[in-house]
Amino acid sequence: METKISFVLNGKQVSLVTDPMRRLLDVLRDDFGLTGTKEGCGEGECGACSVLKDGLLVTSCLVPVGAADGSDILTIEGLSATKRGKCLADAFADGGAVQCGFCIPGMMMAADFLLMGNPHPSEEEIRIGISGNLCRCTGYDLIVASIKLASERGNGLW
Amino acid sequence: MVSTYMPKTLAEALQIRHDAGARPFAGGTDLMVAYKRGEGTEPVFPWPIMLLEKVDELKGIAKDEKGNVVIGALEISAHIATDPLVPWHVRQAASRMGAISLRNQATIGGNIGNASPKGDLPATLILLDASVVLASVRGERTMKVDDFIQGAKKTQLADDEIIKAVVIPPPPKLFTYLWYRKIGTRRANAISKLSLSAAITLAKDGTIEDFRASSGAAGPKVERSRVVEETIIGRNIKDVKDFLPSFLDAYDKVISPHAMPEYRRHVTRNMLERFLSECAKRPTCTIIE
Repeated sequence: METKISFVLNGKQVSLVTDPMRRLLDVLRDDFGLTGTKEGCGEGECGACSVLKDGLLVTSCLVPVGAADGSDILTIEGLSATKRGKCLADAFADGGAVQCGFCIPGMMMAADFLLMGNPHPSEEEIRIGISGNLCRCTGYDLIVASIKLASERGNGLW
Repeated sequence: MVSTYMPKTLAEALQIRHDAGARPFAGGTDLMVAYKRGEGTEPVFPWPIMLLEKVDELKGIAKDEKGNVVIGALEISAHIATDPLVPWHVRQAASRMGAISLRNQATIGGNIGNASPKGDLPATLILLDASVVLASVRGERTMKVDDFIQGAKKTQLADDEIIKAVVIPPPPKLFTYLWYRKIGTRRANAISKLSLSAAITLAKDGTIEDFRASSGAAGPKVERSRVVEETIIGRNIKDVKDFLPSFLDAYDKVISPHAMPEYRRHVTRNMLERFLSECAKRPTCTIIE
């Protein structure tokens, strides 16, 4: 049963006619070509598909696109175009946070969500902030340090 | 393909529920996983679905004139965990559910309606004698959460009803000491292996005026035995050593762990023993750890 779904995607109003039960993850990747959002586990455990929905961190594999109708969605592509995203990307690069990179878009979305609520988190708070995001390469330490670096450099951005 | 409905008001949702039998879909954190088909595909459900996302009448946390805390069925765990109106036990359980993103999606109505024995919120709601408000085109009815959840995945929800809200009454007297512990494998996204919620009200002289304990994830549903609780009400906490062994034995008989029963029984005993023994020391803090 196809339905017209409209939402704000990275600051632009978009709409499409589709099955409202399709996963937001698939709509982002297949219909809008936003392949920065990754599918890891497909059940909300790994955080690779994290996006912000109305300012809240969610796993887009568990969101039917019908539930995104009328909402404001920010993906890694939208975040990267902001000063916050640039600050995070630079800090991740400078801090050596990235190995294979598959988890990084989700890590950056989680970091952005954390810093919006808590611009100067402690190490423990950063670890809690990314606790829903799995990384199989790094052991997390350099990701944690890089988020700390972004929080120090990005004074006033969050 | 089965139909998907996107009602905007409660009245519309109740009519769809009545006419088409569509199942309520709240945060989706259970349903999207249970019916997923794999990478790049949409889940397929065996029944019509209605996405409740836009029904604002199902949202909100407020205190009513009787002092009850009323939580809309669509309220997410992240709000429940941080709203100071919400009783401590419920906030604790909400704050330990899943990870941050899951807490931004999972709802209290879904956690009750899904009726998983591992669900975190029902154990604390049953501890606090909370009720669910069930709405249908016929009207509303209210029922204790303990009665509503009948067993694993079994509830008393009628075919035309949806869960509208949860009502948590204040305790008759402020609790003196509180306990909540969830045991899982990893701090984030852990499904409970076991939980114990407990509360006690002590008179100045140490007489136990109220005592409650609910055991989560240890059997097909949350266990709370008022009969066993009453065996220590009226006793003095100073005599804890005298009544503890028989109390623990009685409590052990009411829980029915399905898997690893020795482990679950042992840990449940330990938690109850610790809670009551610490209370007997009459610490100045309210929360026992």
